[in-house]
Amino acid sequence: MTTFWSAWVIALIVINLGITFFLFLWGPRVEIPTQPDGTTGHVWAHGVLREGLHRLPTWWIVISALMFASGFAYLALYPGFGASKGILGWTSAGEHAADTAANAALEAPIRARVASQPIETLATDAEVRRIGERMFVDNCASCHGRQGHGIAALGAPNLTDGDWLYGGDGKAILTSILDGRQGGMPAFAGVLPDESIADVIQYVRSLSGRPHDGLRAQVGKPIFKANCAVCHGADGKGSTAVGAPNLTDATWLYGGEQAQLLHTVRGGRTGVMPAWRGRLSDDDARMIAAYVYSLSHPDATRR
Amino acid sequence: MARGYKYFEAIEKNAALLGVLTLVMVSLGGLSEITPIFVEAHSVAAPQGVKPYDALRLAGRDIYVRDGCYLCHSQMIRSLRAETQRYGAYSVASESVYDRPFQWGSKRTGPDLARVGGKYSDEWQRQHLIDPRRFVPESNMPPYPWLVDAKIDGATITERMRALRALGDPYTDADIAGAAKAVEGKTEMDAIVAYLQGLGVLNVAKAAEAPATSGAPASDNQSGAGGKR
Repeated sequence: MTTFWSAWVIALIVINLGITFFLFLWGPRVEIPTQPDGTTGHVWAHGVLREGLHRLPTWWIVISALMFASGFAYLALYPGFGASKGILGWTSAGEHAADTAANAALEAPIRARVASQPIETLATDAEVRRIGERMFVDNCASCHGRQGHGIAALGAPNLTDGDWLYGGDGKAILTSILDGRQGGMPAFAGVLPDESIADVIQYVRSLSGRPHDGLRAQVGKPIFKANCAVCHGADGKGSTAVGAPNLTDATWLYGGEQAQLLHTVRGGRTGVMPAWRGRLSDDDARMIAAYVYSLSHPDATRR
Repeated sequence: MARGYKYFEAIEKNAALLGVLTLVMVSLGGLSEITPIFVEAHSVAAPQGVKPYDALRLAGRDIYVRDGCYLCHSQMIRSLRAETQRYGAYSVASESVYDRPFQWGSKRTGPDLARVGGKYSDEWQRQHLIDPRRFVPESNMPPYPWLVDAKIDGATITERMRALRALGDPYTDADIAGAAKAVEGKTEMDAIVAYLQGLGVLNVAKAAEAPATSGAPASDNQSGAGGKR
């Protein structure tokens, strides 16, 4: 605040409080002339209503005095009187810092555990799980669902089924949270002829025992080996190193129907898990990871 | 005539004088609280390295205003622990220096969006705007499916940027010349997603450290993978 504006504010406060405080002191002492009948002589409604005169009630004077006193005290203690910082030196940033520090002190014993113990151990800690769940709901549920069941429209995986794209141990989960994951199923439209794509899809469906055209699956097998095996593996079991899903099980990130598979192979898929480093502290991420780990290990963690 | 009474009598019996004096007294609060901030607000500088909205994000910002997003979403993280824990560092004035009008909002039906950039993937934002309940079953946000079909008009974006430059936003000739091309073929959905993904990311100074839990008024929001277009 510049000196000019500080002086401006001070002047206005002095004028305002000065006038009102002067009136408060002086007003009750003013003698109001009265008629012989004790009224002021002011009349309304053709003399039906006559204005009487009473002293100000003591409670009114006391309350007003208290309000002035608290107003003066406020201006002395807190910022408000121009550029004055107030005797207490209060700032909203300072209060926020103090509040944050007080909360950190409360959390310190928990965070000491969180920083030192492996995720798998933390997952057995009910207190850590509860905090982790709270943060999961706040940050993760809008893609993975409140119960962690995932959302196929987004390719957000189910976190409760023990089936992992990038690995399901505590460390892998933590890495997924902090650094994010970028799924990269390339588009094969234009790379492979439509006919070959249709064959590969039949082969892929055969891997998980879904209804398929056996003949086309036979044709699709070498095409799969040549184009898909590099990520999904020769046996189609996928790879957690690149996040290529296992195609031999019943889990389908984007759906296992013919039309959905066609869409996936032709157009590719680019699922995005945002990176939370910077947004979440390492401790926060570890607590969320512990909660997520517990979702697929209910027996081992929730005794 | 008793001591001092004549002054009260003058005010009491003259409605115009009473009105003027009342006006003077009630103006004092506004004059002392609003005027200095109103004038000094113009001296708030943009954070280090922060540029005015690029063409696509500017279009998105205008859609945000047009569709009234500010009626349910604030862009103002207050300096309260519960807020900084949930949303990140509290908002500071310089972060909205290029917002005309600012989008702080006054009510939250939905969450604060001041630092939503990079929190979700682009695809999430797109699908969520088309049908919010697809991802958040209990959401009461209205759907905005028409954004997908509506095209951005490059000509008006150029004019908007010229108008903002006249108001003092440091757009270069190259920015304005390239505006129409930058939004060519883009839909309103592309624009609003670009705008949202920049909130709390592109309008804050790039700080090296500052962990999220400290609540310090600095950039503690690194763009997630979803923030990169």
